[in-house]
Amino acid sequence: MTPDDARPRPEPGSFRDPQTRIFLAGGEVLRGLGPRAAQDWKALRDSDFFAAAQADGSVTATEEVERELPGEPGTWTATLRHAPLPFVTYPYEWSHAMLQDAAALHLDLLQRALAAGFTMKDGSAYNVQWRGAARPEFIDVGSFEPARPGEPWAGYRQFCQTLLYPLMLQAHLDLDPRPLLRAQIDGITPGQMRRMLGGTKRLAPGVLKHVHLHDSMQNRNAATSTGAVRAQLRDAGFTDELVAAAARAMAKLVAKLDWRPPATHWGDYRETCSYTDADAAAKAAFVDAALAAAPAKDLVLDLGANDGAFSRQAARAGAYVVAVEADAAVVDTLYRRLKAEGERRILPIVMDLADPSPGGGWAGVERSGFAARAAAADVTLALALVHHLAIGRNVPLPAIVDWFAGMGRHLVVEFVHPDDPMARRLLANKPDGLFPDYHVETFVRLLGERFDIARRETLPGGTRTLLAGVRRA
Amino acid sequence: MPTHLAYLDAGSGSLIVQALVAGTAGVVVAAKLYWRRLTSIFRRRTPVATTAAQRQAQPEATSTTAAADKD
Repeated sequence: MTPDDARPRPEPGSFRDPQTRIFLAGGEVLRGLGPRAAQDWKALRDSDFFAAAQADGSVTATEEVERELPGEPGTWTATLRHAPLPFVTYPYEWSHAMLQDAAALHLDLLQRALAAGFTMKDGSAYNVQWRGAARPEFIDVGSFEPARPGEPWAGYRQFCQTLLYPLMLQAHLDLDPRPLLRAQIDGITPGQMRRMLGGTKRLAPGVLKHVHLHDSMQNRNAATSTGAVRAQLRDAGFTDELVAAAARAMAKLVAKLDWRPPATHWGDYRETCSYTDADAAAKAAFVDAALAAAPAKDLVLDLGANDGAFSRQAARAGAYVVAVEADAAVVDTLYRRLKAEGERRILPIVMDLADPSPGGGWAGVERSGFAARAAAADVTLALALVHHLAIGRNVPLPAIVDWFAGMGRHLVVEFVHPDDPMARRLLANKPDGLFPDYHVETFVRLLGERFDIARRETLPGGTRTLLAGVRRA
Repeated sequence: MPTHLAYLDAGSGSLIVQALVAGTAGVVVAAKLYWRRLTSIFRRRTPVATTAAQRQAQPEATSTTAAADKD
């Protein structure tokens, strides 16, 4: 670690609340608290509620430390240190069940906070992160503050826009909300939702109140300040019990917004893969040997993870694995299984690797692009992936190799030969001779320019070659 | 009551919807809020005690009342 790494630098996605800011210093995650936030923290720190949320892991492990942070003197009154996350993900990378669990966690914490005399300043999906499928975690300790009597929850709109609405789109319309979430950092607006959920969909759970009424109320009260409305609500007898009742009602609604992925998806993969048992065994042994040879496995990316078989293999080898898969239904099923198993070393996410998450928000850096996050990986697994990118999406082989070189130092990659049934199926949709360079020797040569190839093995079936390499310098 | 320092614009309409989400007791609060808004128009007009004809004759007073009504 260089001294530059150790100097705290502001995390670009944490500027919205001026009273608190995240700084990264080496491997540490620090949080600066302004004078007011420091007061709130003192109250929170001493509460039974916070102790319980720390003990059960629902709020990121946090301790107070003595550290200087950048900023004008007096900006930061106190500094906290959070347990670092193995890999940061965003709501547009989560499956439906993940989004549902994130929403449930948020509301559960809100209810527990309210019961203890606290509230939350916001209601954003981005406040939730994961340590494996079994551990969603609320990371924004700066969100808790002592509740003021008769005050509604300030985070309700944000909760709707980043959690409730995406769940509704998937549950009520079977519409993938990820493109909208990815495009709009503040989430989907009531106005957008209203246009999508007209007709009889108005009667679907939660739609009339949270969407239609919400949009009307926003339009009608656009000229009234939130301060005025807060005062009017207080005068009309709004109480803390009503905030709690609203949180309970939303929690019930979230639990109802189920989405079952089409049954046909799961199981297709193993069958459609052109593996024989001998191929499968040889492949597993190759991956095991390659993983054993990698000295660090703090972060393994399993690109094109499908049902997560190789993610599991890597996790057994001691890795923390991010299983990246484009099919949201497959990820959802995998997530549910891993969660049921209590898996904390594998996190499945939804992403099309030919169109990975870009940077987003302010200056394009408030949310980090996938490439920037993937650069921290120790090992990249790319099994049965290259042909999908090269043939399916026309990505040139040199570009694929460059892309690999930007990720884990160790790479385990499978090259499916053009005469393999899977490759033939993809090639059948493209004109003959479109990919003259798609050949194992071309790929090995290109890979050799960026990686020292440590192992090479062609599976017994003869149509798939596995390669393990270590990136040069 | 301390000055409100929430960094997030909670949305005026969103705050009222929250009452409605809370169930019957919340609906009562929202109804009361709207009733008070409605009656406040008359409450504020009572001391002025002007007729429509008088207001037409006093354009300045009309604009003042309208501004107050907007809240």
